[in-house]
Amino acid sequence: MKTISSLVVAAALAGGAFATQAQDNVFKIGVTRYDTHAKTNGISGIGVPPGADAKVGDATTAILVYERLFGPNFGAELVMGIPPTIKAKASGSVEFLNATGTVLSAKNWAPTLLFNYHFFEPGATWRPYVGVGINYTRFRSVKSSLAPDVDMGDSWGPAAQVGISYAITKDISAFASLAALKVKSKVVATGSTVLTTTVDFRPTVYSAGVEYKF
Amino acid sequence: MRAFRTLSPWVLSTLLLAACGGGDPDVPGSGSPSGAPTTAGSFTAVVSFGDSLSDVGSYAPATSLAGNGTPPFFGGKFTTNDTTTGAPTATPLGKVWVENLAASLGLVVTPAEVGFNGASVKCPAAAVPALAATCTAYGQGGSRITDPNGIGHNPTTGAGALTVPVVTQIANHLARFTSFKSSDLVLVYAGNNDVFTQFGTFAAAAAQIQADAAAGLITPDQANVELFAAQQAGNAAMKVAAQELVALVKNEILAKGGTYVAVMTLSDIADTPFGNSPSVAPARSVLTALSQTFNLWLRDGLTGEPVQIIDTYALFKAGYANPGQFGIVNNTTPACDVAKIQALTGNQVTDGSSLFCNATPGAPYNTIVTGADVNTWQFADSVHPTTGGHKIISDTFAAELHAFGWI
Repeated sequence: MKTISSLVVAAALAGGAFATQAQDNVFKIGVTRYDTHAKTNGISGIGVPPGADAKVGDATTAILVYERLFGPNFGAELVMGIPPTIKAKASGSVEFLNATGTVLSAKNWAPTLLFNYHFFEPGATWRPYVGVGINYTRFRSVKSSLAPDVDMGDSWGPAAQVGISYAITKDISAFASLAALKVKSKVVATGSTVLTTTVDFRPTVYSAGVEYKF
Repeated sequence: MRAFRTLSPWVLSTLLLAACGGGDPDVPGSGSPSGAPTTAGSFTAVVSFGDSLSDVGSYAPATSLAGNGTPPFFGGKFTTNDTTTGAPTATPLGKVWVENLAASLGLVVTPAEVGFNGASVKCPAAAVPALAATCTAYGQGGSRITDPNGIGHNPTTGAGALTVPVVTQIANHLARFTSFKSSDLVLVYAGNNDVFTQFGTFAAAAAQIQADAAAGLITPDQANVELFAAQQAGNAAMKVAAQELVALVKNEILAKGGTYVAVMTLSDIADTPFGNSPSVAPARSVLTALSQTFNLWLRDGLTGEPVQIIDTYALFKAGYANPGQFGIVNNTTPACDVAKIQALTGNQVTDGSSLFCNATPGAPYNTIVTGADVNTWQFADSVHPTTGGHKIISDTFAAELHAFGWI
């Protein structure tokens, strides 16, 4: 019995020590603004006049972030957003097509894995951080007024961010960050003919929110 | 180790996402046929389905010199007909590509059906028993893929051109010969009249839209949207036509014994005197798109099928851009004289159709433009090739068949 109770006590102590000493887990919630900075290589397909292009709009959404800290300065975080709807408008020689409806809309689902370096010591009020990682973007619910069947390819690309957190209490901080991503997607719209383009997104992502450490 | 353990579920889930993603979407029409024979055939027949380009004389009775449907005929094929040595079906001149190709294989091919104004005879060559199996040229001027009311056919009275559609052409072949044989060289070249029909529909719609815009009833942007919709409607119809032809090739030719089957894409009809005529030229891109759309879905439907595609779009475009390479000195002016044909036919034919065009030197019914040469001018009328134009087509197709290893 003694052995067992010692173990229980030891486990409790260990658990307690774990919980109080190292706040290894961070949850963040915030809002994000995507400035898509998208360019296409032009729209190609049968009957498409020269100079046909599309402009991709910006989007705002909410993000959830989980960061796991390793030691006082390093962390790895997974950023998940509620997929925002990104819309594109026809431009160039085919601008009139916007009268047919939304030329392209898609929900982009873009989990991003970032490895961060946090400056200063845990417990500092202001802690800037920088991170690099990878972004995976997948487009869902792709719709077009021009074609009944539209597909967008998936994208893998690098991601980088700079941010800063401000400790409000020991557990709760506010954060703001600026990230840059590289996303490339081939678009294939199939109707009576087939239209293709490759959209090159270079989104700048502005995020701000609160984080909770435990 | 702890870092790796903690990270692995994330990495794993990210990789799983990638696995179910699948990269770039497929682009329809980017595939190819596969599985067609690669060895030379022992051909005993050229079996050709199509329209006026493949017509070896279906409507000869319409060109009766006596005007009553009886021989002799001064025309009958959509080219520069030549009657120097007799009736069109026996003439060594004024041949269309199907006849040239058959002759190069040592074969004879005759019309599957001959007639006009609702009266016709199937396999007239069978009157000579030795030729009973030669009537395998089914192409008729005006024929569409499935619509029996082709160009030049009166849907109410049945008068005018027969325009037996390709669906019925194939059915007629199966009715007469039961099946396709591995000794048949099967050539499918159809859809041009579907292009002309859709282009006509577009042109009528476009005229109305432009009139509405000019009258201020709609804004320029609305006019553009309506023009776009009219073009899309034409393209959609060409997609249907292509898919119908694909179904015929698969279900009625390949599934019924067809072994050596070549299917032609459509050329760019904008590259003709018709495409360059003042009324059509502003809509050249629409005309081009109709052929391209047909070709896209033809290719899409035949992807993985055991046929060969002869891409007339690319081949003819190259030829049109480099006429000198083929000995052509004029690819803009029709060799048939509209006024002479009108005079010869008593004002019944006013469009200069090469069906009624004759190039026999010195003949009273010669209707060739003074100074034209049927061997070095490419076009007989606004869309059909001269004798020289057909020779280029048959030479080009023969080179393709040679490249396939079939001949």
